[in-house]
Amino acid sequence: MDKKLLWRSPWGYRESLIIVAALTVGGWLMQLIAGPFNFYLLHRPVNYAVGGLIILLAFAAVPLRNRPLVKWLSGGPLAVSLLAALLVLSLIMGLTPQMQKQPPHGDFFVRLGFTQVTDSWAFVLVYGLTLLSLAMVIARRLFRPGRRVLFFLNHAGLWLVLAAGGFGAADRERHVMHVTEGQVEWRVYAEDKQVLELPLAIRLDDFDMTEYPARLAVIDRTSGRPLPESNPHFFQIDMEQPEGRLAGWEVTLQEYLPQAVTAGAEGYQASPMPAATQAVRVIARETSGSGAGGGAIRQGWVSGGNRFLPVSPLMLDDHHVLVMTQPEPRSFTSKVKVFTQAGQEREAVIEVNKPLSIGGWMIYQFGYDNQSGRMSNYSSFELVYDPWLYPALAGMLMWALGSLGLIYRGRGAGGEK
Amino acid sequence: MTWQHFNWLAPLAIALWLLAAWSAFRHKKAVDVFMIAGILVLGAFIAGFWLNVQRPPMRTMGETRLWYSFFLSGAGYLAYRRWGYPWLLAFSCLMAGMFAAINLFKPEIHSIALMPALQSYFFVPHVTVYMLSYSILAVATLASLLQLRKIGRGKSDPKLYDFLDNLVHIGLGFLMLGLISGAAWAKEAWGHYWSWDPKETWAFITAAAYLLYLHLRLRPTVSPRLTLWTLPLAFALLMITWLGVSLLPSAAGSVHIYS
Ligand code: HEM
Repeated sequence: MDKKLLWRSPWGYRESLIIVAALTVGGWLMQLIAGPFNFYLLHRPVNYAVGGLIILLAFAAVPLRNRPLVKWLSGGPLAVSLLAALLVLSLIMGLTPQMQKQPPHGDFFVRLGFTQVTDSWAFVLVYGLTLLSLAMVIARRLFRPGRRVLFFLNHAGLWLVLAAGGFGAADRERHVMHVTEGQVEWRVYAEDKQVLELPLAIRLDDFDMTEYPARLAVIDRTSGRPLPESNPHFFQIDMEQPEGRLAGWEVTLQEYLPQAVTAGAEGYQASPMPAATQAVRVIARETSGSGAGGGAIRQGWVSGGNRFLPVSPLMLDDHHVLVMTQPEPRSFTSKVKVFTQAGQEREAVIEVNKPLSIGGWMIYQFGYDNQSGRMSNYSSFELVYDPWLYPALAGMLMWALGSLGLIYRGRGAGGEK
Repeated sequence: MTWQHFNWLAPLAIALWLLAAWSAFRHKKAVDVFMIAGILVLGAFIAGFWLNVQRPPMRTMGETRLWYSFFLSGAGYLAYRRWGYPWLLAFSCLMAGMFAAINLFKPEIHSIALMPALQSYFFVPHVTVYMLSYSILAVATLASLLQLRKIGRGKSDPKLYDFLDNLVHIGLGFLMLGLISGAAWAKEAWGHYWSWDPKETWAFITAAAYLLYLHLRLRPTVSPRLTLWTLPLAFALLMITWLGVSLLPSAAGSVHIYS
């Protein structure tokens, strides 16, 4: 190892580590003095200016690539130190519960920004220097011959994602809008309970949800717990496999109605009414029974009921009851018509994992009235506006291609052989 | 096709994969035949089943496992073709076979429902690339420990360094694909591609640790021991990301805790 004096150029790992550590500690001090970083400071067009400045600096530095400062800023030791600092800061984030609202009189670590690292000066400063350093090495390599496609995909892809994610945080808007069936809504509540009017409106034509077939279980009549207590059995309703065993009973499904309403004294009939529930007709045989001709036999309808229809269990004997569990939701769908201020109109069905994109906004299915299920007469939507989305997606695509390149090239990705 | 056909197609596919894994160590020539046949058998079942149910078979745990088997065997085979590591093929085959076997022996869990947020095209690729990445990085960790011992006894083994660095590049490639597919999925399901959810934060930590190793190796002026030790450390972080996040106090309310 060379015994170069500290701060004598070229700067290596020691100098880089010291500078990055100083930047981090400086960020913490800044936090103590000035409080958390206010992302609103980066609101459009400031973020365009800062981003443009970084790119400009990076390219302006290319002809000066042999100057010590430029070499250091675009070099490996600084990259390693920045990665180490990001590692430490994200570890803090990963170990401390992060909260949206800070308690007014938090302890020392709260005031250092540990409970909301992404809004802390230390994080923002390290992130910013990373963006600059990455931009500089990308620009430098662009003007150097040799294998650089893979390098470019990985680093420029990451740069785009980091830039769009970071700067975008200042411009991003996110709201939750509640819409009642048959109504048009364009207002949302901001955090301070102020009513905000958005540049788009949603009319909810219909909300629907579908359920998976429920499961059956035998429960103890007194405790209400599913049996056997140590390891409860559940029998998934599936007409392709109509036979199953449950805690000493052999259950055979005879008829399954995914949407049923009560009919007559104990029966059910199929009906597409919104208030319908699931019902199944079964025969249950006691397997270990001592009664005449083997075990007891019970048959009848079982239903889990809902807010409008009663629960319908099947009594097996003095201690055991066959019941249906509450079904799991399969999908939530909202039929909507969306209007934008610019005059666009679109009819669409919005589901979980199937958002609608219109006029720069993305509209997601968010919630509904859990109590009423399919009968819910409102639906809520999450509306996200992110003008930096497309650069971020382009970055992710480049980065993904770069990752494939790493898998294909392996160690050879490093150029040197 | 229905699950009834699976009862004999799956054992056939598993047998073919096991033969392929065995051949990778003994008769390299036979690997391709067994492997491709195994993948085709499972692929044919998935296609037939898809036509039968008339929707992409992605709604239940059982159906999801079909894709795990398919992608693990497919991606494992491609990675084997590129790099020739027999253990990688054997691992992929065992995992693929295991998922098929779960479906065979536990048919009652075929129809356990997938909650709506998990019904995404990104879900299975996301999980598959992570499994491959974990297995490759686990081997890289062992290799780094071996190298550390060699250094302790006098000198490092350049061949071992080549192997090690190769694995870190490949494993990190898969790891970052997992990160990116996760981000794309989050955008589709939750409205934003990156929210610093605890699991996301830990995935970032892990990736940063492996990137640290990779960039440290570009300029071998740092102590080789320190550099090598980043790999066991990174793997420990990876294990926390995979298994430990739900136990951390910071994870309350994470979207990644399902059950
Ligand atoms: C997606 C994440 C990243 C990946 C996959 C990655 C991968 C690589 C690879 C494979 C190389 C060697 C390639 C070659 O020399 O052609 C390299 C070099 C380098 N990387 Fe990264 N890197 C990433 C992030 C970063 C970050 C965040 C920084 C800086 C803050 C950085 C700075 C550097 C530098 C300075 C070099 C040396 C380039 C040179 O001097 O020619 N990288 N990186």
